[in-house]
Amino acid sequence: MLEVRNLRKVYGEEPGGYVALEGISIDIAAGEFLCLLGPSGCGKSTLLNILAGFEEVSAGSVMFDGRPVKGADRDRMMFFQDAGSALLPWLTVEENVRFALRARRVPRSQWDDIITRYLSMVDLNNHRTKFPAELSGGMRQRLQIARALAVEPRVLLMDEPFAALDAMIRRRMHAILTDIWQRSGQTIVFVTHDIAEAIALADRIAIMSVGPCSSFMKIMDVKGARPRDMGDPASSAMFAEIERLLTPEIRRSEERLG
Amino acid sequence: MTETPAIHDQAAADAGMRARRRKFWRNNQGPLLAVLSISLSLVFWQVASTFWFDPFLVPPPSVVARAAWPMIQSGEIFNDVWISMTRVLVGFISGSAVAIVVGVLIGRIKVLHHLLDPVIELLRYLSPTAMIPIAVIWFGIGEMSKYFLIFWGTLFIVLVNTVAGVWRTPIARQRAAECMGVNRFEIFFLIVIPSATPYIVTGMRVAMASSFMSIIPAEILAADSGIGYLLQKSSMLLQTDKIFVALITICVLGFMTDRVFRLLVDKTLSRFTSSTSI
Ligand SMILES: Nc1ncnc2c1ncn2[C@@H]1O[C@H](COP(=O)(O)OP(=O)(O)OP(=O)(O)O)[C@@H](O)[C@H]1O
Ligand SMILES: [Mg+2]
Repeated sequence: MLEVRNLRKVYGEEPGGYVALEGISIDIAAGEFLCLLGPSGCGKSTLLNILAGFEEVSAGSVMFDGRPVKGADRDRMMFFQDAGSALLPWLTVEENVRFALRARRVPRSQWDDIITRYLSMVDLNNHRTKFPAELSGGMRQRLQIARALAVEPRVLLMDEPFAALDAMIRRRMHAILTDIWQRSGQTIVFVTHDIAEAIALADRIAIMSVGPCSSFMKIMDVKGARPRDMGDPASSAMFAEIERLLTPEIRRSEERLG
Repeated sequence: MTETPAIHDQAAADAGMRARRRKFWRNNQGPLLAVLSISLSLVFWQVASTFWFDPFLVPPPSVVARAAWPMIQSGEIFNDVWISMTRVLVGFISGSAVAIVVGVLIGRIKVLHHLLDPVIELLRYLSPTAMIPIAVIWFGIGEMSKYFLIFWGTLFIVLVNTVAGVWRTPIARQRAAECMGVNRFEIFFLIVIPSATPYIVTGMRVAMASSFMSIIPAEILAADSGIGYLLQKSSMLLQTDKIFVALITICVLGFMTDRVFRLLVDKTLSRFTSSTSI
């Protein structure tokens, strides 16, 4: 469904610019749950922005349903890393979700049901009339999750959606997201730098090296039925393997920072 | 034996009274201190002009009040206030309207920005005062020249703020809307303009204050009515008390207009101005 071929992304002018991504290739199948895993600054958000159509590639191609990606479209919904700026601060919690439904031309008669369903799912139904500025950081992230899910896009691009949530809510959100994904058959590209989260959620994990010229070091299949337990041998073996891959990368990026 | 409870009650009553007083003070600290600030200034002014300054050069508040009273009674001062206010409002509203439309376009359309920005960057250093001589030649000393001068001053202030507001619209906010299928035209109205509103409102408040500053020189140099003209006339006749009446009128007028403007903004746009800073 999404085909990335030899993608290269340079910020700034070509000679001398910052090469964020280099030689990225991957086929993402319809209905797949792919996690992008890598140290901070490696280019995960950049790749997601390119998949969404917000940023142009410097070389290579990105195809969606066999057509080159050109600009954003309503089939690919992005969850932004910075929830505060992605929400509309002049609308209340429920109005933010309603805005998305209206933009999507969802029939008006369904709005109330959908809003209630998704806000309850993220525990925000009791805060419907609050403004985003009156929510905590984690609540804002959950509101953005509700908004992204409510429009039921074919592809969900999620940039560290659960990063600001505490462990309990996070586990619940994992269960909810897995459930929605299994029932809807949506394709999900999920950015995280939490190895355990990637293993818990993904069909495949693409592990990225530190920049510049970041690319996939390895793409791993995750086996085992969900919900996955970090305690079982397959998961913990995988955790150890990914950690072995990433530790030198993180050290390299730290060395670069001085 | 019989006295003890009475003393006790008295003490309790005193304590209650003190507590109430403290509460009253806590709840009304701001307004109370504001009244105190103005009263103390008036007292200081009265004392200073009676004992230190020449009361002709700096007439004390009592003299100014005596000069103001007939002007209020005859309605003369209100007439001038009305004339100046109309000039400010016409220039301010038309200037803001043009500035918002042009500012939003400049903020969104790069070519337009490159085309207009150099001119704006040069012209905005021409204060309304600098434009008075040419305005008089263009428009005479009638109302039009004053409208123009206030329009001129407002235009650039609101314009610069509007462009800044459009530019600071978070990119994620626009992109999120794009993902929902909102087209570019709608993003303009549904995302960009609401996001820029706090900046536009701030620009308008600054422009309002500056309008009050520019109307006075405009009326001093090129008018036969309004508060500025009152200042000019009183100065020619060496009526310092009337000059002070005019000066105080400007203070009160500017202050009240800003408060009314803020009230209107709070009533109509508070969604956009109060909750935007996450
Ligand atoms: N607009 C930009 N202009 C120039 N360089 C950029 C821009 N956006 C990102 N970069 C650079 O590209 C690299 C990748 O950034 P990106 O935001 O994709 O990282 P990330 O993997 O999402 O990091 P994190 O986990 O911290 O969110 C960084 O080195 C960053 O400095
Ligand atoms: Mg990122």
